[in-house]
Amino acid sequence: MERPDGRTPNQLRPLSSLRSVLHRAHGSATWSQGDTKVIAAVYGPKGGTKKNENPQKASIEVIWKPKTGQIGKQEKEYEMILKRTLESICIRTIHPNTTTSVIVQVVHDDGALLPCAINAACAAFVDAGIPLKHLAVAICCSVSESGYIILDPTKHEEEKMKAFAYLVYPNAVVSVLPEKSLQVGDEPMANGLITSVTQGSMSVDDYLHCLERGRATTAKLSEFLRKNIEPKSTSELSKAG
Amino acid sequence: MAGKGGANPATYSPSPTIQKKKAPLFKEDWVRPDGRGFHQCRPAFFRTGAVNAASGSAYAEFGNTKVIVSVFGPRESKKAMMYSDTGRLNCNVSFTTFATPVRGQGSDHKEYTAMLHKALEGAIILESFPKTTVDVFALVLESSGSDLPVVISCASLALADAGIMMYDLVASVSVSCVSKNLVIDPIFEEENYQDGSLMITCMPSRYEITQLTVTGEWSTPKINEGMQLCLDACAKLAKIMRSCLKEAASDSKE
Amino acid sequence: MGLPNASDDLSSEMEVDAFRRLFPLRFFERHLAESIRPDGRPLGKARDTSVFLGAVASANGSALAKIGSTTMLTAIKMEVMTPSLESPDEGCIAIDFHMPPICSPIVRPGRPAEAAPVISKQLFDTISSSGLVNLKELSLVNGKAAWMAYLDVYCLDADGALFDAALLSAVSALSHLQIPAVAINDDGKIVLMSEEDGQKQAQEQVNKEKRKLTLKSIPFSLTCILHKNYILADPTAEEESIMETLVTIVLDSSGQLISLYKPGGSVLAHTSALQDCVALTRQRVKELKSILDEQNSVMEIEQD
Repeated sequence: MERPDGRTPNQLRPLSSLRSVLHRAHGSATWSQGDTKVIAAVYGPKGGTKKNENPQKASIEVIWKPKTGQIGKQEKEYEMILKRTLESICIRTIHPNTTTSVIVQVVHDDGALLPCAINAACAAFVDAGIPLKHLAVAICCSVSESGYIILDPTKHEEEKMKAFAYLVYPNAVVSVLPEKSLQVGDEPMANGLITSVTQGSMSVDDYLHCLERGRATTAKLSEFLRKNIEPKSTSELSKAG
Repeated sequence: MAGKGGANPATYSPSPTIQKKKAPLFKEDWVRPDGRGFHQCRPAFFRTGAVNAASGSAYAEFGNTKVIVSVFGPRESKKAMMYSDTGRLNCNVSFTTFATPVRGQGSDHKEYTAMLHKALEGAIILESFPKTTVDVFALVLESSGSDLPVVISCASLALADAGIMMYDLVASVSVSCVSKNLVIDPIFEEENYQDGSLMITCMPSRYEITQLTVTGEWSTPKINEGMQLCLDACAKLAKIMRSCLKEAASDSKE
Repeated sequence: MGLPNASDDLSSEMEVDAFRRLFPLRFFERHLAESIRPDGRPLGKARDTSVFLGAVASANGSALAKIGSTTMLTAIKMEVMTPSLESPDEGCIAIDFHMPPICSPIVRPGRPAEAAPVISKQLFDTISSSGLVNLKELSLVNGKAAWMAYLDVYCLDADGALFDAALLSAVSALSHLQIPAVAINDDGKIVLMSEEDGQKQAQEQVNKEKRKLTLKSIPFSLTCILHKNYILADPTAEEESIMETLVTIVLDSSGQLISLYKPGGSVLAHTSALQDCVALTRQRVKELKSILDEQNSVMEIEQD
């Protein structure tokens, strides 16, 4: 199967990301995959939690700003998914009874919008210095009518496919800890799934293939994310030291 | 894909081909659309404990008028509230979008909310839960006439189910004046043609009225007749409500 | 949680109810270790489920679904619209999920629940992904008139697994839906036909008689909690508040995966756990399908 932009099925669009793009926010980042681009800004943690939130843990608030128009059900759903995903990677016991706000501004949507926003928010969290258990990397897998899987589809490709899945994985951990401690049962931790959202109907096997394909690319994505974080933190360290 | 979210096109519900003749209600020898006698109420059905998540709740069904009321609390008052020695009562009445024959917005009903609050306030011993609030929320599932009286009676049953202290159960009944006749517990069609209406909310065992609403044109003897009709019906209604509570209590013992 | 040692000392003397409130997680874990849940269910078993069709007399289709004490009421009202230019031969379904203040102590009037728009969206996505309704069947006059089906789901009692109950009541209402017989009048408006005048205006008829939609394979769902290595099917509100990782799987009756929804949560889902959840859902789909089929056959007998 040919892709209009000549990519192979497993090939991602060119990634780019910048950190600390906004100087008023406590942390910020842009993230783009091809023409899809999102800016995320993090403010906080600030004191107190909203009603109905557990004050024994740090809570996260997500505000989704679409490119144009008002927010509807779709944006509310994205807010909820982002909030739950970010909560699961944060160490929420460190700053109990605080709220951290994340504002996600869509700059351009050309497919795989939610994964792009999750990656941006994750980079912004690192930039703001919020304590995290691990990073999260998000990817979109699309399934065609014939069961063919392509990664990171553009909007045009998304419309032609019968189903797609947004998958979020923890990044591959580089750790000094012995390898065993990072295993859950028989599988390494990085094989677990943080978030899954699907649309369209597919067979269970198709979904499991998506899981595998997605997992294979996480290494590439997390390497990019980590590389993006590193230079700045070392320069900061040298300044501080 | 089904329709895109957001702006929906304008819609209308198809109307019947033959418009029903409006005359029958004004004739001398008309019968009520559901075949009841003028002074006969619809069969009332009550059930407590309809909503598990609430501290107390009740479901009421009068013909096609169906209502659920949940009671929450006594619980912490809103932070903005001033300190109060007595408890607070907070009410809300809303309708489902499919309650009325033509699809509505399913919004809150401000007028009924205020009326429900007034009707219950006098019956509840507010001193028994100082500094806290009791919330009484009603949802009209289907509306088919006499909605407010049903909501009020159902709410008092839900309060009893929640164990909130009251002086007495509150029962409510309305009558409509259609040309020269008084019809009790009017249905939707009758309310549309009424010349006046009268609603009484009372505590039958104490023989006290907590709310009386009269609209339209009434002569003094008509008012007296209407009030007596309502009071008698309230006493009967309260008996049904009481037996529903007794049944629920004996069920839970077993 | 915060005081693990204190709980060990206290737990021997404490009453069960107090223990449940003070150390909810510990309370549940003790049950889970014995492979049972506080309400007496085994881990993989859903609560008692029932469906009642035709609960709202004034609607074209309606259903009341109960899973445990979670209760959902769905009503469908049919209205007429002018179809859009892109799809002149298709009708439309508008799905809305409401959480009125009666359903839960968390919802207050004036402030809609946060979960409501998310579940609305999930319902809409699920029903359109599954291709359950052929929108062409909702067309009346090509390019001029089509049905708009307003499907409203009301949560009457919220006790966990809201999406499962909402989807069950929505698909039940769609299976109960009867499209009214209508004709087009001289002004080009659609009017209802009553049985007597059906004969006279035979030329103008658009929809000859009441009919049901032909539904493709129906989607059903099951929500599971992942906690450590345990999988708990069909959680209650209490369980959802204590153990936060939820997975909702929707399968249609032919076994296709319509949705696998896991919004975050502290537990990572591994392939084996997901496969176990899918297996539980397969079983549940069979149960729910037979409950719905039974109700539909009861309705048919009553109508005959």
